[in-house]
Order: sequence, then C-alpha cells, then structure tokens
Amino acid sequence: MKNILRIARRQIHSILETRSTILLLVLVAALGIVSGLGARHHAVREAEARLEQQSLVERQWLEQPGRHPHRVIHYGFLLFREEAPLAFFDPGVSPWAGTALYLEGHRQNSASFGDARHATSAASFGRLTPAAVLGLLAPLLIIVAGFASVSGEREQGTLPLLLAQGATPGQIVAGKSLGIGAAAAAAALPVGLVTAAFMAFGGAEAPSWLRVGALVATYGAYLAGWVLVTVWISSRRKSSGAALAHLVALWVVLGVGAPRLAASVAAGLHPEPSRAELTAQVQAAERQVGESHNPDDPFFAALRDEYLTRYQVSSVEELPVNWRGLVSREGEAATSRIHEEHQLELLGVHQRQNRVIGWFGLLAPHLAMRDLSMSAAGTGPEAVEAFRAQAEAHRYDRIQRLNDLHIHQIHLENDRAQRLSREEWERFPEFRLEPPSLRQALADRPQALAGLGLWMLVPLLGLALGRERLSRVSEPASRKEPAA
Amino acid sequence: MRSTRWRLLRLEWARMFRSGGSTVAACLVIALGAYAAWEGRQRLGAVEASAAAAEEGYRSQLEFLVGRYPPTTEAGELLYYLTFPASQPPSRLSGLASGREAVETANLRIRLLALEGQLYEQETLNPRLAAAGRLDLGFVLLALLPLLIIAITYDLVSGERERGTWRLAQLFVPSSRLVGVKTGARILVVAGLVVSLLAIGALATGLDGDGRPGWAAALVVLHTAFWFALCLAVATGRRSSTANAMVLVGAWVALTFLAPAVLSLMNTILHPAPEALDLTVRQRQGYHEAWDLPREETMEEFFEDYPEWSDWIVPQDRFTWAWYYAMNHRGDQAARETSRAYRDVLARRDAWAGRWSLLVPPLAARIALDRLASSDLEAQLAYQEAVRSYHERLKTHFQPILFAETPHPEVDWSRVPIFEPAAPVEAPAAAGLPAAASLALASLLALWGARGRRALSFSALRRGSRTPSPPAPRFRSASPG
Repeated sequence: MKNILRIARRQIHSILETRSTILLLVLVAALGIVSGLGARHHAVREAEARLEQQSLVERQWLEQPGRHPHRVIHYGFLLFREEAPLAFFDPGVSPWAGTALYLEGHRQNSASFGDARHATSAASFGRLTPAAVLGLLAPLLIIVAGFASVSGEREQGTLPLLLAQGATPGQIVAGKSLGIGAAAAAAALPVGLVTAAFMAFGGAEAPSWLRVGALVATYGAYLAGWVLVTVWISSRRKSSGAALAHLVALWVVLGVGAPRLAASVAAGLHPEPSRAELTAQVQAAERQVGESHNPDDPFFAALRDEYLTRYQVSSVEELPVNWRGLVSREGEAATSRIHEEHQLELLGVHQRQNRVIGWFGLLAPHLAMRDLSMSAAGTGPEAVEAFRAQAEAHRYDRIQRLNDLHIHQIHLENDRAQRLSREEWERFPEFRLEPPSLRQALADRPQALAGLGLWMLVPLLGLALGRERLSRVSEPASRKEPAA
Repeated sequence: MRSTRWRLLRLEWARMFRSGGSTVAACLVIALGAYAAWEGRQRLGAVEASAAAAEEGYRSQLEFLVGRYPPTTEAGELLYYLTFPASQPPSRLSGLASGREAVETANLRIRLLALEGQLYEQETLNPRLAAAGRLDLGFVLLALLPLLIIAITYDLVSGERERGTWRLAQLFVPSSRLVGVKTGARILVVAGLVVSLLAIGALATGLDGDGRPGWAAALVVLHTAFWFALCLAVATGRRSSTANAMVLVGAWVALTFLAPAVLSLMNTILHPAPEALDLTVRQRQGYHEAWDLPREETMEEFFEDYPEWSDWIVPQDRFTWAWYYAMNHRGDQAARETSRAYRDVLARRDAWAGRWSLLVPPLAARIALDRLASSDLEAQLAYQEAVRSYHERLKTHFQPILFAETPHPEVDWSRVPIFEPAAPVEAPAAAGLPAAASLALASLLALWGARGRRALSFSALRRGSRTPSPPAPRFRSASPG
C-alpha cells in the first residue's frame, strides 16, 4: 500500500510539473463550473416560464364562463412539461422533446417547442453542459495526464529503478492509476460541488440524492475506465508518442464517432414514419370507425341501436341520457384508441432504435455512460415518454369527464344552447407528473450497465495479464541507459 | 531535379502509410464519408416520400369528404377537416449538410383554422437519436477530416528530429524544400480525399443548380486549407511531437466543440425565447373567448384585416362558417404580437451566431454550409413565413365561398392554391463569403506565424547540422507525466 501511494505521489508530482496538464485541469474545472452556472441559469428561467404559463392556463380554465361541455372539449387544456431537477446537469434528450402540449378532444397533439428548435446550427456538434464537460473533456485531461505514465518511466529508464526498489508491477500500475485518478477527481470536483449546491439549496423540490449518487457512480466508473485504459495503453506502447496517438484516436472513435454512427445505424435499421405518413395512417383508420361529429355514421348507427334496445325506447330523443354526449364519448374512445395504437407503434420504432444504441454502448462506453447519465438525471427517453403517456391519460380523462357531463347534465333538446355552471370547472383534477423511477430506468439498460462494467474490466484484465510484460519490456531499455 | 522531388514525394508517401495508423484513418474517413453521403441520399428520399404521403393524404381526404357529405353541406364544413400539404422540397445540399433538419419539419399540413397552433408541429423524431447528432458528410469533412490532417502532420518536422533522420535528409536537400515536399505529399493525399468525398457526395445526392454547391465545395476546401495552415504553424515549431499533438488536438476540441458550445450557451442566455409558450396560450384563448363574445365583436376585428367583407352582417340565429373562421382568425390576431416577438428572437439568435462565428472559422464554415443547404434556423423561419402566406392565400381563396355559404359540390377543388416553397433567403455569395473570408484570413495568419517560426527553426537546424554536436531536441514526452 505504501508503495502504491508513493507511486501515486510521484505521478501527481509529474502532473503538477507539466504546465499544459495544469492548464487543461484548470480549464476543465472552470468549464465545469461555467457550464453548470450557465445551464442552471437557463433551466431556472425556462422552468419559471413554464410554471407561469401553466398557472395562467390553470387560471383560464377556472375562470371560464358557463360553457357547453363540448365547447370545453375543444377548448381543451395545455400542459408544459416540467424538467427534472437535474436537467441542468444533463439535459439528456429533453431539448429535442417538445415542451408545450395542447390537450383537446378528437386529436392527440404532439408536444411542440423543444429547446433544440430555438437553437442555431452552432449547437449541432454538442452543447456545453456539465455532463459534456465530464463525458468528453475530462477523458482528454486523463489522457494528457497519463499517456506517459508508464511509457515515460520506461523512456527515461526509471521503470527498472522503481522495480528494483521493491515496487511490484501491480503496485506501479495501481499507483499510476491513483495519481491520474486524483487529477481527474480534482477537475471533476468543482462541477460536482456546483451541482450538489444547486441540488441542496437551489430547488424548491426535495433533491433526489439517490439520483445524484447514481450520477456520481456513472461518471466515477466511466472516468475510472478512462484512467485504467490510459495506464494500460501507456504500459503497452513503446513510446509515449504512440500511446498518446492511440489514446486520442480511441477518444475520437468513442466520444465523437460512435454516438453518431450508432444513431445513424439505428435510424437505418428501424426507419420511423414521418409525421405526415403517421397522420395519413391515423386518418385512414379513423374513416373506418366513422366521424363522431356526424351522427349518421354506420358506427354510430350501430351504437344507437344498442342504446335504444338497452333502454327499451324507440328514438334517441326518448333516451334518459343525452345521445349526442354518448356519440361524443364513444367517438372519443374509438379515435383515442386509434391514435394511441399508432403512437405506440411509433414508440416501438423509437425503442428499437434506442436498443441499437444500447448494443453499441456495450462496445462504446461513452454511449453507455450517456444512457445511464440521462436516466439518472431523469432526462432520458423514458422520462419524455412518461410525460407523453401520462398527459394522454390526463387528456382522455378530462375529455371523457366533459362527455359524461354532456351525457348526464345536458338535455338533448336544444342541446347547444345549454351551459354548465362555472363551479364544474373546479371539479377537474390537476395534472401531476409521475417521473419514471430510477430503479426501473436503470434496470431497462442492462447493456449500458454491462458496457460500463466492461469498460473498467477490460483494461484491468489487460493490466493484470500484462504485469509480467511490464517489467520484461522495460529490461532492454534499462540496459541501454546508463546507471542513474 | 524534378525526379528528385518525385522520388522524395514517393518516399514520403511510403513513410506516411507504412505506419498503418494513417492508412486506417484515411480509409475510415473515406468509408464514413461514403456512408454519410449514402445516408444523406436515403434521408432526401425519406423527405420526398413524406411530402408525397402528405400530398396523397390530401387527395384521399378530399375524395373521402366530397363523397361522404351530402351535396347540401356547406364547403365550410369540409374545410374544417381538410388539411392542405405545405411541403418544402429539400435542397440537394441538405443531404450532405443536414443542419437543424433533424429538429425541424419541412412538411406541415395545415387546416384553414387558426394558424399559430399548427406552425410548430414536431416531426416524429426520436429524441435519443437527435441527441446523438447526425453523421452527415458535412460532419465527416468539417469535424473528422481535420483530425486526419492533424494525425499526418503533427510530427512533420519533430518526428524526423526525434528519429534523428532530419540531419541525414538534409545532406542532400535543403530543409525548406524537404518541408515543402513533406507538406506537399500530405496536401496531395488530403486533396485527393476531399475531392473524392465531394464527388461521392455530389453523385449520391445530386446538385442544386444555383452555385450553392460550388460555394459549399469552396468552403470545404478553405476549411481544409485552414487546418493545414494551423497544423503547419504548429508542426514547424520547435516543440516535441507529443506537445504538437496535444496543442493540435486541443485546438480541434476548442474550435470544433468548445467555442461553438460556449457561443451557443451565451446565445440562449442573451436571447431568451419565452414567447414560444406564450403564443400557444394566447392563440387558444383568443379563439375560444370568441364563442362567448357577441358575434359582431369578432366580425369587427376580422374586418380590420379584411375590410372588403365589412358590409356582411353576421346572422345571430344560426351558425355560420364565415363567423367560425373569423373566430379562428381572432386566435391568430391574439397571438400575432407574441408570434412576431418569437420570430424576432430566433432571427436575433441566428444573426448573433452568424456574426460571432466569424471569430471561430470552422464554426463559420459549418454555419455557412447549413445556410447554403437551407437547413439552418433562417431557412426554417423562411419556411414558416411561406406557410403563413400560403395560409393567407387559402383564406382569401375560400372567403367568397364561406361568405356565400356555398355548398361543397360547387367548389372547384382543382383551383385551390398550392403551396409555394420558400426561396433560399440569401444569395449563395452572401451566405458563403463571410465564412470564406474568415477561413482565408485565419489560414493566412497561421501561415504567417508558421513562416516566422519556420525561418527561425530552420536556421537553428541548419546551424545545428554544421556544428559537430547538435543541440539535443527537447523531448517533452520523455518526462514521466
């Protein structure tokens, strides 16, 4: 243990001696803080705007005059998607998911106004968020701090010296990893502190420390993997230059190339229908059912016969309930089912695409880390889908409540002239978003968890197997060097 | 003399590709580029298929509606359901520089109802894929190719120095010519790559005929030249190979990811867009309030925009479609100012990004490329404007029919206005020139810097070759750090 700490100290010392590494460390730390502050500022402002609009919509709903329930079905309701408290740390997919969702009868709208729609092309190669600083820049720091960790000792001829003084190859490798890890931790600490401070004192909601813990674990494992890989490659390459070149190439392939390639392959394997195609399909299916605004439709004629038999009457006017309300309710049920079927089909395509990305994550740890990070932050695809599904359920409930009011409180005769009293509007339940649980989100990502595990395991194995080689490779070099 | 140069060139190529790494990287760039170009072609095909689906959807819907409603039904009722396709055909270049295409729709289908609620519909994109980013040819050429250039130039001089071959080579050829030949060998390889990738791209997606592809190619060439200049400036310095590599990769990260991301974050903070949410609320309220207002009030507001109908008196005892669509118009009126403000913010963001990107030449190139491909924010705003004017034309086309309460069989549906796509906002030169100037200026600056330092380092090297024991090159890599 003492030897490991000695080696670690030596590594830290050499990191502190190199000006470029210090510069990079300070830069990563500073960018972490700046991105945290900037993203938080933006997130708070967005959240305020959404809250303000949401309460305005709520007020407008309550302040409605007495209206016919079908009028209110068309008036509908608006929901503004709340962001997870940790969205400023890792916005995940939420910039690309819509924000404002209009709930109305007869249709299922998609949420509009995602953040990405308001951004220029400048953002298309990535956004400055704490997650990006830790996921992309911190690995570069690790590479710069560690590419020469073993190869440099070998080039200088100091490796055999260390071995001769009683340090085992395992201890050297462990010490080196510890030293580089300390540098990475120093760079990541400010981001962590800023995030923790915002979580503890910034939000109105109770912070979810479990999610923060999952994030710490994710980034810890990811960056630890980078440290191990860096030491491994450094120990296996003849020169520091070659080690640096290979590590940078690996960083480019994993961090820059793999995500885009995976996304492109996923889209190619499972193409999704466009909005126009989806809408056309829904319309075609709706025509099979009929149109609820048209009471002479065959679907609704069958419905009428059913109700006439049930109540033993000969015309809809004699029904004890409002026939037009019934038509509206059954029509809503039928069209909602069609919409939901098509929506779930689309969701299925998206999920298949995401699974392709998941499999890529097994080989490309950056992807695995992204998947886990956004799920832990509560900004993954499942959070977006949870909002969509719950909003749809809320829409359906609201519309069918109105239809029930139409059925029971409005008489068929002179239907459209009647109004519900204003007090009715207060009896509608509020929308409460139930975010998907962290446990479920993580359990749904076995590939990502395995990918991150492999990312640490492979270099560990490599280092363990190459232990003997570490000293052997160093021998010829040591013979050349004069005794130091 | 010429044959010496040729021999040297061949020798240089052999050395470049002997290592394997450069060969793999070059093949990877070509393969990814070809794949990206093919994918761009697929994407263009998908956009066109989607437009065709919208067109087909309109036809079958119209046929269905006309067939289902009894001949006494007013046209206004059919128009309540009918969605008119407004598809913007993609520029061929957008297959290669997809820009913000992923988040936008260029294929709206609009009804005669209030427009503001229909303009911002989101495509069926998978947000997870959008978050990962697009692998288009623009990305390969602007982001990946510079890395290849870095990989083959960073040890241009320092590698020879560190291997000890520099002095040997100088026995026969002056060092300036040697650097020239080594640089030339790399420029030829990369030029070959760029030309083949551009050709593959052009073949895959086809070309627009208005000079934009020429500007795009010029920008790609200038961008490549900029990276060469930057790499030469660094590589001819006196640093070690590893230090060069770190500086150049650092420059790549800073120019490709960091500076654009910082600018983008600043842009969002400087130009907030809260109107986005507000305008939906306003439009909905503006329209639905009208149901509870006296009908004349709505009509008065409608006549402000369409005075030609102001002698029409709204019937109080029955529903009229003219009044119904006037209520919808009221919704748009209520959102008009907010919508204007929203577009202004986006236009300000776009202009701000365009201006400040000139300080970061690679970003300027990317933004200009998206602009040339009409896949940027400006193009989306222009598309929305085109949809607005289409909606307006539809309204004025159908107003006589609505006010006359014409039954639908009397409407000549073949005379319905069709969507006129938005023209590119800027002339090709206006879109390409600022970025081209920024790239050229930055390249010259880098070369100028390289020249100054190269002269210095050459003289030092030459001096070194004459003296019996040359100064040891600085091996920064050798420190165990």
